[in-house]
Amino acid sequence: MSNILKSLFVLASTHHEASLDVRETIALTPENVFALQQKLHSLKNIQECLVLNTCNRLEIYGLADTAEVEETVRDCVCEYNGVSRELLDTHSFWQTNLDVLQHAFEVSAGLDSQMIGETDILGQMKQSYALAREQNCTGTILNRLFEKSFQAAKSVRTKTKIAQGQVSIGNIAVDLGNRIFGNLNNSRVLLVGSGDVAEKTAQSLKSRGVADITVTSRKFENARVLAHKFGGAAIDFNDFSGQLKWFDIVISSTAASTAIINKDMLVTALRSRQDQPFFLIDLALPRDVDPNVDTLENVYLYNLDDLSAIANENIELRKAEIDQARTILKAHAWNLWLQLRRRTLAIPEETAQVSRSVLNT
Amino acid sequence: MLEEVTTTARSAIYAGALIYSVAFLFGMSALLRRTSYPKSIMLTLLLSGFIFQSLGLNLRGIQIKSCPLGNLFEISQFISWSMVLLYFIVGTAFSLRLLGLFTAGLASCLALTSLIIPGWDTPYPTSAAVNPLIELHASLAIFSYAIFAIVALISLMFLIQQHGLKEKQFRGLYQYLPSIQILDLVAKRLLITGVTVLSTALFFGIAFWISYPESVPLTKLLPTVLLWIGYSSVMVLRIRKRLGTRRHAIASIALFIFAIASLWPVQSVLSKNPAPAKVGKAPDESMRR
Repeated sequence: MSNILKSLFVLASTHHEASLDVRETIALTPENVFALQQKLHSLKNIQECLVLNTCNRLEIYGLADTAEVEETVRDCVCEYNGVSRELLDTHSFWQTNLDVLQHAFEVSAGLDSQMIGETDILGQMKQSYALAREQNCTGTILNRLFEKSFQAAKSVRTKTKIAQGQVSIGNIAVDLGNRIFGNLNNSRVLLVGSGDVAEKTAQSLKSRGVADITVTSRKFENARVLAHKFGGAAIDFNDFSGQLKWFDIVISSTAASTAIINKDMLVTALRSRQDQPFFLIDLALPRDVDPNVDTLENVYLYNLDDLSAIANENIELRKAEIDQARTILKAHAWNLWLQLRRRTLAIPEETAQVSRSVLNT
Repeated sequence: MLEEVTTTARSAIYAGALIYSVAFLFGMSALLRRTSYPKSIMLTLLLSGFIFQSLGLNLRGIQIKSCPLGNLFEISQFISWSMVLLYFIVGTAFSLRLLGLFTAGLASCLALTSLIIPGWDTPYPTSAAVNPLIELHASLAIFSYAIFAIVALISLMFLIQQHGLKEKQFRGLYQYLPSIQILDLVAKRLLITGVTVLSTALFFGIAFWISYPESVPLTKLLPTVLLWIGYSSVMVLRIRKRLGTRRHAIASIALFIFAIASLWPVQSVLSKNPAPAKVGKAPDESMRR
């Protein structure tokens, strides 16, 4: 009887290993996530798999027949995101067995996030898990792993104060807005794209007095719905660059593969503004705003890394809570590991194979 | 009796300078502890210092029977006094956080330096009747220097805040500073006010110079005209949008440093060639200390 847990793995490239520039190239489009998941699952020696693709991480969880699948998985990822093996190898790590459980638990609890303690990642993991289940890419082991990781995340939030003192991107945007404009009541906001984080950020600005929020999106209907929510207007996506001069704060979070706001656009917009500053919040990955615009006077550009660094400035104050959360997660991971070991040791290999094939069909 | 008045004037000025220093240290210690200081305490300290300084300058004025602007000591004191007075107006009107701390810092620096260096409080001949044109010119010119001092402080605050925003710094001093937009707006308005006051001062100065061309040496005329050209150029360029906010701030600080630095050569020349009185009386025999 072979031990299937020997080949539980995760290949991950996160904000710890890769800078924003590298993450931009390694990240997958939603279509490629779907395709990569299908491809990996179709491989003979991979039984289960799940792809988690967010702004801060690309992670491939899987269960393989053998422990020698690392090369195959890495090659597959490079095939779909078009990066070189060297780049992926430099900016990623490979973990197996108990380490996979611990890593997944820490990710779900927000301990591995850029903004430690944030809850968005849990929602993203649940979405990825739902997609993988829908595609029948997960099975007994990964289902248990992810369901337990969601429970562990909840347990950590209940037993520790990990989320307390955590600063949201919305609050940081409001504070930065105050440092740039003073009173936000007269500031006009343009939301480019209809991402969840961008919406929350706009909501924070609205709660602090911003009265005018305009939305633009590739899908005009989405923009119209979101604009209605904020009591603002929707503008045509093809026209937004010409309208930039009217806005003080631009929050961008589209899924565009290249920058949609460049230096020339802002130089043109700045000419029409009377020494008024521009505050750009780029929440997209790949980035929507060309980083070179930050060299312009009166332009203040903040991307995900900048906002996360600010959010973690009070990390020292929460160190004790983080340590306690980590201890709780380790205990959860170890319990799950023992359960999985007991279960796999109790099931004869033939039965295990039958159950896997049933699940896969 | 005169000796007594002189001592009392200096003591009051000393007390004012020390209170400004206490205000600055109080604000700094709060910032180092990463807390914001109570505005009321800062205001009370600055007001106390201002009252003592006003008393000291008033006693000097009584003693010399004119506005005390005869030597570097008095000019420095008058600039710091006007600066604090302006802070009460500007700080209240625009609610500029930390401006009190910066004003206390510069006011105490100017006031203490002028007290510490004995050579700055050199005796000068005083006359019973001073030409009112030259009095008006001098007081307006020094008041414009105080406006430019506040502009320089606000510009410095602007540059610090801008640096923090560009370098993505979030905590510490940056979170207590006013917004860059408000700082820039106030600096621009004060610059226009300062140039107007300086131009008026120069207008009266020119009126006096036409009557007594030999009384104004080139060493006084040149730096003053250069300063006026400098500030006027910055103002015009800014209004015509040819000068960015950052360069405006840097230029304002540089020009103020030039203004303060030019006081010394101007004053040393003037002490050798005092301006003539309107009524041709001999200078008073009493030489103040």
